[in-house]
Amino acid sequence: MPGKIPRAVPVLLLSVAALVPLWRFEAQPHSTTVEVAAAAPEATSSPETSSAETSAAGTTTTGAPPPANAAKAVTGSLIRTNHGDVQVQVTFTGDKITSVRMVKQPNSAPTRKAVPILTQETLKAQSADVDSVSGATTTSAAYVESLQAAIDAKGD
Amino acid sequence: MGFPISLDIRDEDTSLPAAAERAFEWLREADARFSPFRADSEVSRLDRAELAPNELSPDLVHVLDLCDLYETSTGGAFRVRLPGRGFDPCAIVKGWAVQGAAEMLFEAGARRFCVNAGGDVVTFGEPEPGQAWRVGVRHPERPDQLCVVLGTRDGAVATSGLYERGDHIIDGRTGKPARGLMSITIVAADLTTADATATAAFAMGPDGIAWAAAQPGCEVFAVDTERRVFRTPGLPVV
Repeated sequence: MPGKIPRAVPVLLLSVAALVPLWRFEAQPHSTTVEVAAAAPEATSSPETSSAETSAAGTTTTGAPPPANAAKAVTGSLIRTNHGDVQVQVTFTGDKITSVRMVKQPNSAPTRKAVPILTQETLKAQSADVDSVSGATTTSAAYVESLQAAIDAKGD
Repeated sequence: MGFPISLDIRDEDTSLPAAAERAFEWLREADARFSPFRADSEVSRLDRAELAPNELSPDLVHVLDLCDLYETSTGGAFRVRLPGRGFDPCAIVKGWAVQGAAEMLFEAGARRFCVNAGGDVVTFGEPEPGQAWRVGVRHPERPDQLCVVLGTRDGAVATSGLYERGDHIIDGRTGKPARGLMSITIVAADLTTADATATAAFAMGPDGIAWAAAQPGCEVFAVDTERRVFRTPGLPVV
């Protein structure tokens, strides 16, 4: 039988609905889409977590209902906006939302502000010719050994 | 604020050394007025409740407003008055005071200069035609190495991180030293913003990286305790 939507879902719909106008009304649409997360494999959902009428419809499979508090990942349907595609993945534990991830998000300025893009890389060490050095506040004693001291000495 | 200050002025205007002296005077004045380590500073007097609300100087009010702004924005991770500790707005005052010094130099006609105050940097113009100022960021674990080199013209660079000894940046939400990041560097249009954002973000721990990246006009270079580097795409790396 069609399931009832867990009480937590309307809160999610509100926050997605609040984000979507950002992507609809900007004057210069920019329609590339950034895939930000590989969607986690979905757990078998019980009928309770299927939703019918809203854009966060999840996929359902029939099967034995999982234990009440198992985490269930549900991927919302793809929403097309004039900036690109939006898709969220919601993890429910019981009937509470325990995490929301953007599976797809547009690569536009308002999106970057709401969901900043960060690139990840490894930490490197280099010595280079520089004009100045930024670091956590050095005390005067530490300064003597610091790169900045070397730079200033070079200028004498 | 016992930190060393370096000033590199490339303009050939001969009146600038006098302007530099006035800028240093301002920094000494800012220290006298706002240092929590001086018993007669405005900050210490405020902490002892010796100042009525209408006796606060406009500068002190401005500093207090900035402190409130960052406390709210970080959900309390950045907090200038912690239980059991005195009021310590150093994180805001330092960037604001050094930015003020840079503006004094600009008003005196300097157009190509770099100020470094204890690791906070303000630059203006170009050291040589066509080149940006090269600002290295100290490697969080190897003090004789850099982890990245940034190019700035009119802008500021501030880094917050684990101190060598003594004081730690406290996460106001827990009352304990902030955890999760080794250092975070912010590039912004002015040092007040860069310094406050770097300190506030460090106090937030790993959440601070995305928070800082969402602050208008801020580029971010952060190193977490797993030695992963996160940076914004617009960071001006040279």
